Amino acid sequence: MSSASGIPDSDWKQWEEQGYLVFAEAIRGEELARLQRAFDYWSAAGKQDWLKGVARGEWSATYYDIPDVLTKDEVFIDILDRPRYYDYIKAFAGADAIHIGAQVRTAPLWPISYTAWHPDVPPHHPLHIKVQVYVNDVEPGGGEFAFVPGSHRPGAGPYPRVRDLAAMPGHKRFPGKAGTAIMFNTYGWHVAMDNHTQTPRKSIILTYERRTPEKVDPARYASIFASLNTPDRRRLFGLD
Amino acid sequence: MSRIDAHGHVFARATSDFPREVNAGTPADREETVEKLLSYMSASQIDQAMLVQIGGTSLEHHAYLRHCLKTYPDRFLGIGLIPESAYAHPQSHMDQLADGTGIVGFRLGMVGGPQDPFEPVDVRTFSTFPIWKHAAEKDYVLWLYVRATDAHQIAWLVDAFPQVRVVINHLGVCPGEGKGRTDEWGRPQIDTPSYNPGFHTTHRLSTYENVTMHLSGHYAFSKEDYPYPDLAGWHKHL
Repeated sequence: MSSASGIPDSDWKQWEEQGYLVFAEAIRGEELARLQRAFDYWSAAGKQDWLKGVARGEWSATYYDIPDVLTKDEVFIDILDRPRYYDYIKAFAGADAIHIGAQVRTAPLWPISYTAWHPDVPPHHPLHIKVQVYVNDVEPGGGEFAFVPGSHRPGAGPYPRVRDLAAMPGHKRFPGKAGTAIMFNTYGWHVAMDNHTQTPRKSIILTYERRTPEKVDPARYASIFASLNTPDRRRLFGLD
Repeated sequence: MSRIDAHGHVFARATSDFPREVNAGTPADREETVEKLLSYMSASQIDQAMLVQIGGTSLEHHAYLRHCLKTYPDRFLGIGLIPESAYAHPQSHMDQLADGTGIVGFRLGMVGGPQDPFEPVDVRTFSTFPIWKHAAEKDYVLWLYVRATDAHQIAWLVDAFPQVRVVINHLGVCPGEGKGRTDEWGRPQIDTPSYNPGFHTTHRLSTYENVTMHLSGHYAFSKEDYPYPDLAGWHKHL
């Protein structure tokens, strides 16, 4: 069974009730290899500047985002509208969903996670969706994404501020292979779990939002106009 | 319940009794005495306070702090400093300062581990490791106001020494290179992004039961007058 949007009813139900969906192998094969190469290349290229920013007190040392990533390699734009999950973005947020940001992120090993449990935006904020794409394999206990199913729903909670991330009641963890994409409603409580492995977590966090006029700023993307060459992309970046 | 000011500095004029280093903010003939602090404490109904050493790291430089603690033992406890030259073998310095004096801990401005968070970590190689080890052995408190480049290193030592009580100073801000200056009253001003990097370093240390953080130093980070409304978001984040 599926709705007019083409989204299976079971996925609609899970999205509405649980607030997340998992897409195994959302990116695979040569595209995944291309993504991994670009990720590693640009991570290395920007690292010294990042360390200087850390020393200046401008950036945190516990996660590293490649700056201005959409200008670095076409693959970082290509993954924004992968049909595997972008069709769901359009179904959930409307055809006019817009791109908010892409955080191409490595989390170095640290005794604890770089973040605590949190929602990103309050429920009165326009629908705000993130898709977290693993660029390397993320094992259990390897800094995997975790979410409290149902915590996005009106009236859910309250949720405790736990010292130990694993103590959050009802949470679900999402280890996964490289190329796995996890879509979640950011009204819900989520976190990166502690990483007790020897492998820093590499992931990309894509953020989309239901369009509102104040968030439309096509000038911001002037440097990548040439790559915004499909109707979907033009809408996603507020050009149409 | 006692009301305690968690962090303050006092100093006397620089004399042979109370030798200290001087700088533009603390010239030799300036004094901000403990009696003056007591008057402010009285006016604000503050019962006790922590006095944090300034004016030098040597044993001699601590003379005024020790005098204050000896004169008013029921009102103050102290935090001392350690010269960097003693980091490798700090035990004697720490013990002499804390030997019945009211000095209960030591303030550090650095951690001394790898600045690159992707480098392998062995806490035994951190320059302050001997200090942490001795603090663990003697139950000394560590009072941290470290450089931005060191912020992520704290967790490794906190993790290694869960018995050491750690006090993160001044809202968990770790000043960045070139971001410090003084205002017209000679007070420190630290430029810090509104999205404080400490949210993902020092604030995360709330995971550990042996770590606390000062709600202090607002004047140094705020761009607005008291009650510093631009820092409300930081408080909410806590």
